[in-house]
Amino acid sequence: MNPLLRFMSRPPPAVGQTPADVVHRENKWRLLRYRPRPSGVSHPTPLLLVPSLINRHYVLDLMPGKSLAEWLVAQGFDVFIIDWGTPEDEDRFVTFDDVCDRTLGRALRVACRLAGSERAHVLGYCLGGTLAAIYSAARPERVASLLALAAPVGFHDDGMLSAWTRSKSFDVGAVVAATGNVPWQLMQSAFHMLRPTLTLSKAVSVLDRAWDDEFMNGFLALETWGNDNVSFPGECYRRYIEELWRNDALLAGTFTLSGTPVHLEDIRCPVLAVTFEHDNIVPWKSAAALLSRVSSEVKQHIHLPGGHVGAVISKKAAATLWPQLAEFWRAAS
Amino acid sequence: MNPWELYKKYFNAWEGATATYLEHWLKSPLVLEPAGAWLSATMKLKAQADQATASFWGNIGLPTKRDQERALHKLNQLESKLLDLEEKLADLPPSTGSR
Repeated sequence: MNPLLRFMSRPPPAVGQTPADVVHRENKWRLLRYRPRPSGVSHPTPLLLVPSLINRHYVLDLMPGKSLAEWLVAQGFDVFIIDWGTPEDEDRFVTFDDVCDRTLGRALRVACRLAGSERAHVLGYCLGGTLAAIYSAARPERVASLLALAAPVGFHDDGMLSAWTRSKSFDVGAVVAATGNVPWQLMQSAFHMLRPTLTLSKAVSVLDRAWDDEFMNGFLALETWGNDNVSFPGECYRRYIEELWRNDALLAGTFTLSGTPVHLEDIRCPVLAVTFEHDNIVPWKSAAALLSRVSSEVKQHIHLPGGHVGAVISKKAAATLWPQLAEFWRAAS
Repeated sequence: MNPWELYKKYFNAWEGATATYLEHWLKSPLVLEPAGAWLSATMKLKAQADQATASFWGNIGLPTKRDQERALHKLNQLESKLLDLEEKLADLPPSTGSR
């Protein structure tokens, strides 16, 4: 029982530990720049990491040894990341264009200006990848390359989220009118429905490996992140559901960004799509669809076993996936 | 095999089968449509209650929560547009002479 007692008295894990400075702040969002390694930056083109809008940014900097950001800094990259912050009641009016065009555009321009570069590599994770793809199609000028990490582009698949958002009785307008920002609890319950037995599985894993400090630290850090979600700005959510999920507007070519038509065919920079075989949040085919649309001469697809989060931040990812990402950026610089 | 290993084996078999079964049913229109209808009806009810409260405050001449949200949002938009202007000014080429 000793390991279980230790587990219960364990302090919360420290997450997002890689040193970073806030280089821009606007409304609730911030742009962070990780401090370079002591020997300095060795790649002139900066990296901009765009996490999902509904999760905290520190999933890409979970904990020492399981941090993509920490690893990239150690490889000599100049790394920026968007922290979307926590929307408050007045942010119910924030639109998809505000998020994708104004915020992402500003973050990219600030990163380029501070790094003294004309362009930046953009990595978008999950919904952040969707935003990055939309932005790269409509405003390609400053995007050196696009790396879409488990990023949905096609939204009509046979998964539960697609079925739920397309059900006739789900009135997204009523949800937004009643809640303003769509509560994270509502979205998290939908994610729990993807595998309702997952909580029990986790409990069995904890009982099984409570003696393993390394496992427990990683488990608790991931649980901390998984339960630290943010609500979705209402107007932005309405368009996200109605146009992207219901109308599959990106693949249909009917989506616009601040009035500019978004055609994925307009993406000509090097593109890398990373998909995961057992990703039940973003089915891999809906993420891989990006590559069939872009006009880039350099386009790569990495398809790996694993799920939506674990395959990005695990020790295995550090050994196999991350070096391939760095190689892509080195070649695209 | 010790009892714990045996338990895990049976648990994993049960979990896999149950998850597959639940996934099949949870994405069925037989479940999703009533769930969507219930959620939408609840949300409409809440919106109507909020509207009634807002009308009460509005009728006695006080700003509603929505009025305050709109005002704050406008301030955020103004801040953002000022930052746009700052960016444009910073991008201007330096002046080559003075009057």
